[in-house]
Amino acid sequence: MSDLSSTMAASASGMAAQAARLRLVSENIANADTPGFQRKTVAFEAVHAMFDNAGSVRTGRVELSDAELPEVFDPGHPLADENGYYQGSNVELMVEIADAREAQRSYEANLKMFDQSRQMNASILELLRR
Amino acid sequence: METNPHIASQLYTNAQNIARPDGAPNRGDSLFAEMANDFMATMQAGESAAIAGMTGKADAQTVVEALAASEIAIQTAVSVRDRVVEAYQEILRMPV
Repeated sequence: MSDLSSTMAASASGMAAQAARLRLVSENIANADTPGFQRKTVAFEAVHAMFDNAGSVRTGRVELSDAELPEVFDPGHPLADENGYYQGSNVELMVEIADAREAQRSYEANLKMFDQSRQMNASILELLRR
Repeated sequence: METNPHIASQLYTNAQNIARPDGAPNRGDSLFAEMANDFMATMQAGESAAIAGMTGKADAQTVVEALAASEIAIQTAVSVRDRVVEAYQEILRMPV
């Protein structure tokens, strides 16, 4: 595989990783009000050099945040204990929005790299054509 | 990526015809056959990725990557073919 097509493969893997991250963010936001929901996070890892697509990124295992679940006071809630409290989710919307924005920026950066390698490839082929 | 599917399929057919490794094997043929096989593999990967994308089995960036790779392969094959045909015509025009 040539360098330019490896560039495109690496950029595509970066975009796939950011898409996976954005999916988790959306799952977190969707469950922001679910009682007992733990925020999901994922770690990125580089693909080892022994594999074919070395230098790309892939997502690791999805992990649950072990931040403390907040106690919400709502005596009318079906899950409330005798004191009227139930455990909410540890999703913080501000954090999720920041994470989503970061995923968007990284996706754009990978897209730019993808486009650039495509253009470089096209322009070198243009030389052969005339 | 704005590729007219009609033109793309036409180019693909052209490239397929020129890249088909049959006939008597001679010098330089194996290298060319290898290149053609590589090209065919790229095209098939692009096709299967496009099909997977259409049926919702693959995500967008996989489809785009495979299609960009096959686009580059087509451009390379077409450029090389044009040069080969040009050289052939040059030989035909040679006064004997």
